[in-house]
Amino acid sequence: MPKKILIVEDEEILINLLQRKLIQEGYDVIVARNGEEGLKLMKEASPDLILLDILMPKKGGLEVMADMQKNNHLRDIPVIIISNSGQPVEIDKARKLGAKDWLIKTEFDPQEVVDKVKKQIG
Amino acid sequence: MERRKQKLVKANKEKEAALQEKTTRALLNILEDVEKERKRVEEEKNKTLAVITHLTDGLLVFDEENRLSLINHQAEKFLNIKTKEVMGRSVSGLADLPNFKILGDLLGPEIKSVFRKELNLGGNFIIEVSTEPMLPKGEKLGTLVVLHNISREKMVEKIKSEFVSLAAHQLRTPLSAIKWTLKMLLDGDLGEITEEQRDFIEKTYQSNERMIGLINDLLDITRIEEGRYLSKPVLASFEEIVISVLDFCQQEIIRKEINLELEKPQIKLPQASMDVEKIKLVVQNLIENAIKYTPLGGKITVSVGYREDKKEIIFSVKDTGVGIPEDQQSRVFTKFFRGANVMRMETEGSGLGLFISKNIIEAHGGKIWFESKEGQGTTFYMVLPVEKEL
Repeated sequence: MPKKILIVEDEEILINLLQRKLIQEGYDVIVARNGEEGLKLMKEASPDLILLDILMPKKGGLEVMADMQKNNHLRDIPVIIISNSGQPVEIDKARKLGAKDWLIKTEFDPQEVVDKVKKQIG
Repeated sequence: MERRKQKLVKANKEKEAALQEKTTRALLNILEDVEKERKRVEEEKNKTLAVITHLTDGLLVFDEENRLSLINHQAEKFLNIKTKEVMGRSVSGLADLPNFKILGDLLGPEIKSVFRKELNLGGNFIIEVSTEPMLPKGEKLGTLVVLHNISREKMVEKIKSEFVSLAAHQLRTPLSAIKWTLKMLLDGDLGEITEEQRDFIEKTYQSNERMIGLINDLLDITRIEEGRYLSKPVLASFEEIVISVLDFCQQEIIRKEINLELEKPQIKLPQASMDVEKIKLVVQNLIENAIKYTPLGGKITVSVGYREDKKEIIFSVKDTGVGIPEDQQSRVFTKFFRGANVMRMETEGSGLGLFISKNIIEAHGGKIWFESKEGQGTTFYMVLPVEKEL
């Protein structure tokens, strides 16, 4: 069975590109367009990995991670942050909340995102 | 005989009375003068006090025993204290007043010399503190402490920083969308493309990368100015950073037919405490500049060494490039500087790299400098202490 990846991101074009790339690599992809929707979907669909944006409407990525920490079923799902921000303070916060990696969107391309995903869940 | 005596006594009395009147008049005159002078001095004093009281800066005067002898209205307001409570007390004796304690901690019991030190008195209220010894005839009569309100300047600086940060962030979003789309087109993920299309897309991709680089530089500068630039330092190998940067630049070194020489240290370098990404940025800036400004077939010498006595790493990049004109050398590390000779070349650059590098190195307790001769080449040096606590 293909591994399931949840993309939580509000930028439509980035969702399209990532989704296409991940499907080509054989992953199953589900998408949420804000933090609240993301939390709802991860409870329903139990993804194997989450690609999470930071600045989003309704609920930001760091808040999502804090909520995940409080939930036994969600706490251990690996999270890779994909953000436009590279602020050390935010990166530190995300790492403390259990993020596996932090990718700045302008520094990485979809192939490199896929490589990071593979490193985490194969 | 008796009549003569009486006459003499009378004359004497008259003389005495006249003298007394004269003396009284003179004394009254003196008193009048003294009173006038007293009034003048009093007026002067009042004027001076009015000037001191109405100064927009806060002013505190401590006597030769470091006891508070004068405080103006602004200083009372800034520190939220009343003259009655504080007069005659020493710096340490004032420590029980919460607002004064912050200032007292900066000044110390002996009132040390301070020049334009920023002090946050809570919220967004920030003052700049300077001290000045009062030495009218070489003998110390006390110390003047000046408090200047810089809250407004700080606020403007903060708003500017937030604006640049937000603008840069908003710019990064579309740029990453462009980058990802072009990369997937180039990788063939979105279907086959012709050679001509590939060529155009590759060039567009490079332009986009340059734009991303510029935005990153602007963001770095904002963070430097906000004082929240460096990440938590970790122990890392400087030599490995240099090798990885050289690897990264390999293609460009070959393309420009540059003769690259790497002088490695005699002994194994100890690890140094650093923000690895930022130090890598400095090394990359110095090496990329050398490559960029060295003509085809030139020579670059990269050297890594260790100064055992000072416990610091010394790194240098020597090129046979265009050099920096002598009259512009003092501006090399300032923001947006680009050499006049470099502007004539067709090279890209924001003029921010060396400004950022200097800030990074100094935040690590190190130093960066250069020697250059126009038309012959430049050598950039940097030292990085290995044991500095950041």
